[in-house]
Amino acid sequence: MTSGRIWGRIARRNVRRNRRRTAITVGALALGFVASTVMIGLSEGIVAQMIENGTDLLTGQIRVHGPGYEPERSLYSTLGGRAGVDLDQMLAAIGGVAGIEAVTPRVYAGGLVSSGEETAAGILMGVDPELESSVSRILSALEQGRLPRRREREVILGQVLADRLRAEEGSEIVLVAPAADGSMGNDVFRVVGVFRTGAAELDAAYVLLHIEVLQALVALDRGRVHELAASVDDVWSSTEVVDLLPAAISSLDVEVAAEPWTRFRPDLAEYAQLAASFNWIIVLIVFVMAVFGVANTMLMATWERRREFAVVRALGAPVTGIVRTVVSETMVLGVVAIALGVAVAAPIVFWWSQAPPDLSWIVGDFTMAGALVEANLRVEPSVKGPLLSATGLLITVFLAGLYPAVRSARQRPADTLAGAE
Amino acid sequence: MDVPCSRARHPGLLARAASLAAVFLVLASHVSSAQAPATARDIVDHVDRLLRGESSVGRLVMEIETANWSRHLELEVWSRGRKHALIRVLSPRSEAGTATLMVEEQVWNYLPRADRTIKIPPSLMVGSWMGSHFTNDDLVKESQLIDDYDIEIAFEGDRDGVEVWEFELIPKPEVAVVWSRLEYQVRKGDMMPTWARYYDEDGAVARSLQFSDFEVMGGRLVPSVMQILPADKPEESTVVRYESIEFDIGLSTDFFSLRNLRTAP
Repeated sequence: MTSGRIWGRIARRNVRRNRRRTAITVGALALGFVASTVMIGLSEGIVAQMIENGTDLLTGQIRVHGPGYEPERSLYSTLGGRAGVDLDQMLAAIGGVAGIEAVTPRVYAGGLVSSGEETAAGILMGVDPELESSVSRILSALEQGRLPRRREREVILGQVLADRLRAEEGSEIVLVAPAADGSMGNDVFRVVGVFRTGAAELDAAYVLLHIEVLQALVALDRGRVHELAASVDDVWSSTEVVDLLPAAISSLDVEVAAEPWTRFRPDLAEYAQLAASFNWIIVLIVFVMAVFGVANTMLMATWERRREFAVVRALGAPVTGIVRTVVSETMVLGVVAIALGVAVAAPIVFWWSQAPPDLSWIVGDFTMAGALVEANLRVEPSVKGPLLSATGLLITVFLAGLYPAVRSARQRPADTLAGAE
Repeated sequence: MDVPCSRARHPGLLARAASLAAVFLVLASHVSSAQAPATARDIVDHVDRLLRGESSVGRLVMEIETANWSRHLELEVWSRGRKHALIRVLSPRSEAGTATLMVEEQVWNYLPRADRTIKIPPSLMVGSWMGSHFTNDDLVKESQLIDDYDIEIAFEGDRDGVEVWEFELIPKPEVAVVWSRLEYQVRKGDMMPTWARYYDEDGAVARSLQFSDFEVMGGRLVPSVMQILPADKPEESTVVRYESIEFDIGLSTDFFSLRNLRTAP
């Protein structure tokens, strides 16, 4: 039997000596693990919600424009320039890129929205309802009515805009927008629905209509669109997916500017990074508290065994052997605590992720970094939380065991056996 | 018609068109009737009155050149004093009947295709008028120069052989206006304006206005052509050319009604 295995065996045996103390120590560490895992899950839940709402709600995770479209977002800056693109080919090419889940075309125009005596500025957004639903959730935010149909002069309005215009389902509104040919596009439309996303800028300004109807209003051909928005399988792979786009559309001879959400929503990306670093702070706080408790326990345990260590040393055991046995004891405690913590945390995180407590009756939904955050305590299940917590816990028990171990090893066997304290 | 689009970067399209009318009316006054005013403010006010008249009706052509398209509009314009104006599009046929009414500081647009009248909210007055480089705000504010600005003579003397005044107009502190200052040149001999420059908040010229083709129309000497040039888009311009104008035709304020906005008077 090698010396390492011997010291490990001694460590396991010593752990079982005072089972009550061991249980309390393991319980405290496991509680720290559970607390850390759940708190990281909560933090990640908020970040995940922000990213989902910040990208799923309207933008998608990838946007493709013509070069120079941003930041002016000119009506004339369509994909493919004045000639436009073969939209079907373009959608097929981008939709076929690995990692792309769905892609949808959009047309935007600034315009006046008037109903009765009321007039407001609005952002007119032309969408293909079938494709749009695969990329964003804005159409599913419909609170009343139905979606606008192809070839029909129908719109849906944000709730705040509808209230301002005193319009509702069935109302007639007038849209006025400068057209690409220099004329002033205007026509009467019927409100067929009202949506409420909770995002103020959408609810207060957006008017959605079928893409072909908006193209007709602002004198754009079908192949002239401002944006292709795409959703991806994994939001964190958006940058890599964007890198694949140029090759995918190279045969179409269209110059594009494609961006992942981390570029057009840098605020969200920065917040996600901030939250990730905050996770370490959670781990630090939880386990710094634990390290003193465990160290105290181990000091007591090693003090009780000081004569045993002295005998072992007197029989020729090396100093490192004492250190290894004490540290091994704490590491065993740590491993057992992690196992217990995983067993307790897993069902809690699973339940919490499936049925997050709704706090909207207290605070209501709110926006953070420009993204809607629902007022619920959602925990995001991930491997990162338990991994971080386990790492923090093992570092804790190692440090907590090191001091008592070194102290025990440094005691002179003769003094201890002679009764010196 | 004023829509917050990327193209409408110059405030107040609709206003511009209206202001055009006002300025042209001002231009229409006859030099011989002018009495030498005493102060800078008096001179600008005098020029304004000469060109505007008590009331007027005129036909004009608007040529708009942008990087993306060119347009030719024929318009009919009625005005009364500084506070009332009505502009109707005569051609192209697709937009004939589209009209704009300015009463005091309020602006309405009539859209014949939709058969609806829209009141332009104050927040949208900086939108382009009919795609031109004029804004709704121009329409309203241009007629209020002497009320909204402190006016001083910045230069008085010879410019290229012509005696002129050059005025500097600084907005009064309590007035919300788009421009940080204006410069305005008037020929002494016939009290005709020759150019105006509009400065943005950074002190750079945002656009300039040039008056030319001075001729007697409706019994008054007027600059029959006015051209607006946005500084940031040198390839773009809006040119307004009066084809005819009559002054002091006895329009009452009742003429400038929503009913007349919808139907040709």
